[in-house]
Amino acid sequence: MLVLYETPAGYALFTLLDDGKLEKPDSIWKDFETPEQANKTVKLRAFTKFENTTDALSAVTALVEGKLAKNLKEFLSKEISEKEMKKESLIVGDAKLGGAIAKKLNMKVLSDSTTLDLYRGIRSQLDSLLSGLSSSDLSAMVLGLSHSLSRYKLKFSPDKVDTMIVQAIALLDDLDKELNTYSMRVKEWYGWHFPEMTKLIVDNLAYAKIVKKMGFRANCSTSDLADILPEELEQELKEASEISMGTEIADEDLENIHALCDQIISITEYRTQLYEYLKNRMNAIAPNLTALVGDLVGARLIAHAGSLMTLAKHPASTIQILGAEKALFRALKTKHDTPKYGLIYHASLIGQAGPKMKGKIARMVATKAALSIRVDALGETDTPDIGIENRGKVEARLRMLEGHGGKPSGADRKAAGNAKGQKKHEFVASSSYNTSTDATMTSPPSEKKRKADSDNEESSKKVKKEKKEKKDKKDKEPAVEEKKEKKEKKEKKEKKDKKDKKEKK
Amino acid sequence: MGFGDRGGSRGGRGGFGGDRGGRGGGRGGFGGDRGGRGGGRGGFGGDRGGRGGGRGGFGGRGGVAKRGGPGARGGRGGARGGARGGAKVTVEPHRHEGIFVAHGKEDYLLTKNLVPGESVYGEKRISIEGADGAKVEYRVWNPFRSKVAAGVLGGVDNIHIAPGKKVLYLGAASGTTVSHVADIVGPEGLVYAVEFSHRSGRDLINMAKKRTNVIPIIEDARHPHKYRMLVGMVDVIFADVAQPDQSRIIGINAHHFLKNNGHIVISIKANCIDSTVDAATVFAGEIPKLQEQRIKPQEQLTLEPFERDHALVVGKYVRSK
Repeated sequence: MLVLYETPAGYALFTLLDDGKLEKPDSIWKDFETPEQANKTVKLRAFTKFENTTDALSAVTALVEGKLAKNLKEFLSKEISEKEMKKESLIVGDAKLGGAIAKKLNMKVLSDSTTLDLYRGIRSQLDSLLSGLSSSDLSAMVLGLSHSLSRYKLKFSPDKVDTMIVQAIALLDDLDKELNTYSMRVKEWYGWHFPEMTKLIVDNLAYAKIVKKMGFRANCSTSDLADILPEELEQELKEASEISMGTEIADEDLENIHALCDQIISITEYRTQLYEYLKNRMNAIAPNLTALVGDLVGARLIAHAGSLMTLAKHPASTIQILGAEKALFRALKTKHDTPKYGLIYHASLIGQAGPKMKGKIARMVATKAALSIRVDALGETDTPDIGIENRGKVEARLRMLEGHGGKPSGADRKAAGNAKGQKKHEFVASSSYNTSTDATMTSPPSEKKRKADSDNEESSKKVKKEKKEKKDKKDKEPAVEEKKEKKEKKEKKEKKDKKDKKEKK
Repeated sequence: MGFGDRGGSRGGRGGFGGDRGGRGGGRGGFGGDRGGRGGGRGGFGGDRGGRGGGRGGFGGRGGVAKRGGPGARGGRGGARGGARGGAKVTVEPHRHEGIFVAHGKEDYLLTKNLVPGESVYGEKRISIEGADGAKVEYRVWNPFRSKVAAGVLGGVDNIHIAPGKKVLYLGAASGTTVSHVADIVGPEGLVYAVEFSHRSGRDLINMAKKRTNVIPIIEDARHPHKYRMLVGMVDVIFADVAQPDQSRIIGINAHHFLKNNGHIVISIKANCIDSTVDAATVFAGEIPKLQEQRIKPQEQLTLEPFERDHALVVGKYVRSK
């Protein structure tokens, strides 16, 4: 049997002198206890040195990926004759590489866990087994190779495209924060001069632009703000400027306020530009995810997972609560209900849903998002077909659920019929309520009528009769109503109990 | 040991760092806690915030009474003065070979700097003139930033990292602790530092440039076969990987690279394995998992007060008797 052993200096091929040893892996270590014993167990058959570090680097990167490098293939086919290839089997340390060798060179390959102890043995006695190579050479090669390999890894990092999105969304959040503080500052500062304007102009950018344009409040009436404000607001502002109670400020003060306004205006401009960039990037990298949840939420999800590939490896249940880790772990610790949504809450689909439906829709959006992300990360196409289709599905489901009026009665498709039934029921309940109010309203005037109509006996009798009838009705009606009320209360109680039980569960 | 006065403060560390990030994160709580200790110091502790851990050293601050006139010393200046006061500081070897202790106004844990004249992460350096007149430079090792140092101060029986040893370090991060481990093993030893994150791998490679006994490996420790050609047999595996399956990760690395009867030293962060049960249960649960991987646990100690809910486990790898 032959053993392939990779060193940082080159490939080594050993011959295992006694094949039977592999069958007892637990005792192999004894054969490697001393250098002499090791040399009796395996014998170096061939060794090829890497020509230089670039050669070594390309060879080792191929090994790491489990691919058969060109120089390894040459080495093996040179050292092992075709006849031998059919007879002998080769022991390889990595199963993936073993598969590649078996396929390309058409030879028997052994690369399972039984070889682990053999490799441990070789590794421990490597210095004595590789007679032609000094250990200082080897350690120099290790050092050189490890550095160049790590540098190569960092240089050609696969997440570099995602990093752009991660950084962009982080910067977007930073800019928003910064813009808000700056705008607050300018309003606070200029507010001393023109306090009425803060209330009138809510938009931060418009505020900064106006301050920049008019300077002192006295110039308000003369400056033309038509391109910043609608006409009515401009008029209002001009009126306010004339009766303002603000203090006077100096030119120097205004200069500084203007500098701040410039900042706000330029940052706002840059923010829109950055948003455009993020949108394009998202559409290119994760078109389906973007179609489903929008670019901002999509970018936040990617940023939170670290990269699109790691996000694609998350299950839907994780995606649903991504960003709500604190709440999740708190809930798990205290054995309460876990959160229903995290970052995904800001997706428009979940925003559309009613408060009772939000959790359910979040779950659905998460499942569809998981599918879309996997297509984005691993699929071949770059059209947002699946994302759009999924969005449609979630929207349809949402409409259906809303039609039910909040009753989640399974997969019943006759939503329209049920909705009508629900309305009818409500209508009856309200009508019974009306009669009771009517009855209380009629009773006081009837007594007054009695006194007024006392001289007119005949008519009064008739009236009395009518009243008796009404009284009877009244007596009966409250009783009925009471019963109804009781029933309703009972139902409510039962519902509450059920809810409590559910929560306890 | 010179850290006696530390003991008194341990009880009071309760509120320490509820929201400390991963490592090196918000060490802020540390400084604040200080203020509470030396009664008379009042407002001093508060503004140490931020990187308090990085500068202040650890032990000797307790000796405020000896120093007198605390008001005169402002936050950072105080720390600096302690390090530069060369004449008064004496360095003694620690019980563990390769580690040293400085006794002066403040007590520090030290390692001999492999690259004199340079700090790796802004730690302080102490130069001492030896008997023969040659200067030896040491670097201060902060137990709040390094779990190995915390273990050493916590009184671990045998850290197994010593001059000339070969160490496989899993979860090397930016290489702060790795640099000290490299100092300990010295030019004869070797440290294979495995780190998966590209972000912190950058700093690790930069550190390794200066120290030729560090082999940086940017690879997932879950797949040791991907760095099988770089790593030889090692005497010790130190792991700080903070993954739920860390026992398995350590096991497969031991199977590949650890000598028979070699040792493992693991730092276990309870929250990373299971945050729903208390720390002691998590630690107890890890022991059988290690035994499954043919690792015989020998020692376990908690890293309080330096880390919360962390344990350091030392074990012996017995592949064949």
